[in-house]
Amino acid sequence: MYMKPRLNVIWNEIYCKRCIICVEVCPVQALAFERDEIVERPGCIRCYQCERYCPDIAIEVMDEEKR
Amino acid sequence: MIDRSYKKLLKLNRFPHTWCPGCGIGAVLKNVAIGLKELGWNEQNTTVVSGIGCSGRMAGYMNLDAVHTPHGRALTAAEAIKTVRPDLNVIVLSGDGDLGSIGGNHLLHTFRRNPDITVFCNDNEIYGLTGGQAGPTTPEGTKTITSPRGEHHQPLRLNRILTAKSPCFYARTTVYHVNHFKTCIREALLYKGFSFVDIISDCIELNGRRLGFKTAHQMFKWFDERFHIVEGVRDHLENDELGIVKKEAEVEVKAEAKTEVEGKLEVLIEGLKLLTLEELKHFDGTNGKPIYIGYKGNVYDISASPLFQGEKRMRCHIAGKDLTRDIETAPHGEDLVYHFPMVGRLKVKAEAEK
Ligand SMILES: Cc1ncc(C[n+]2csc(CCOP(=O)(O)OP(=O)(O)O)c2C)c(N)n1
Ligand code: SF4
Repeated sequence: MYMKPRLNVIWNEIYCKRCIICVEVCPVQALAFERDEIVERPGCIRCYQCERYCPDIAIEVMDEEKR
Repeated sequence: MIDRSYKKLLKLNRFPHTWCPGCGIGAVLKNVAIGLKELGWNEQNTTVVSGIGCSGRMAGYMNLDAVHTPHGRALTAAEAIKTVRPDLNVIVLSGDGDLGSIGGNHLLHTFRRNPDITVFCNDNEIYGLTGGQAGPTTPEGTKTITSPRGEHHQPLRLNRILTAKSPCFYARTTVYHVNHFKTCIREALLYKGFSFVDIISDCIELNGRRLGFKTAHQMFKWFDERFHIVEGVRDHLENDELGIVKKEAEVEVKAEAKTEVEGKLEVLIEGLKLLTLEELKHFDGTNGKPIYIGYKGNVYDISASPLFQGEKRMRCHIAGKDLTRDIETAPHGEDLVYHFPMVGRLKVKAEAEK
């Protein structure tokens, strides 16, 4: 299983179906969909909204300790 | 930190699952798994049954014993499992077409027999797997592949049908209102009896696109416009409301019995006892004592009530207490109390005056 680490969120490329719900629910627009990838921009407030709405368990907000 | 142990209940080796990008079924699967995990239900004590359709695939992704039944027969299989193994928790994960149209007959009769199973219905208002035909819950006027000029017929109002008798548990929620969704799942799993959670979900590929939505999130916003959450436990839900309907078993008082009790009332008035709240506490039905409750300064003997049947408490009502305030806030009226013989008066006021 290959996961790409980002600043705050882990995105699982294999599970992701690119429905971009996460990009749209993010209240601070910290996620973007660019060149078939979900990329994280600075500004994540760790609200877990993307993780709660993802139907494919493809995105996870990293726990505070692991950062 | 959030708890991700629910993943143990999912067959992650089969992921990514088969549903379209943005399909609400994934959210249903995930939230049900979270709900089961929170209650500690696992492969030891839980079975999941599902029917046919996109939503019917859900059971296959659960790390639990699962039955994939013929179209519409999920409820029959679930009821059979529950009858043979009452110790198992049985949940049904299926679609609106599967439960409401092809399995509509079973839905009515399973509801009538009230077995202790929990049904999660992924209500995407369409037949998903077969290509987006109008289903039993498709709203009137919706354009689908089989109704290009808008559906003529009225949808099946599950909120009316499944709350028509008591006891019943019916909850409606959407995949967008996640907190409400989780509460409904929890309440439904904990409810003893037939509980049905109607989850308004999105079929973006075959329904959403035709309706003009570009992404699943736009459909979520549309759900937010169409529905609003109502607080608390209700006895019915309007067509645009999200909430929980829970009704307890009705107390059937026959017309004949009523007159008899009324006759008794008059006779008893002469021999009334004066009881303080302390004395009232003794009459809680233990050791063969009668069950008394206080109401508006009077004491009633409710031993005959089928609801208290040798129990100290009937849900929120406790025997041997002044229930004036409880009954005022209860969903039923005070007339329930007046069916029982009055045996005395409460000495609360007299004490207060002293
Ligand atoms: C006896 C029988 N009749 C018809 C079908 C065709 N069929 C397969 S799935 C389906 C509709 C399922 O709709 P729903 O339960 O709403 O699930 P969804 O796909 O929308 O999640 C139908 C009619 C079938 N498989 N078996
Ligand atoms: S057809 Fe509709 S219900 Fe079936 S997986 Fe695709 S979006 Fe979901």
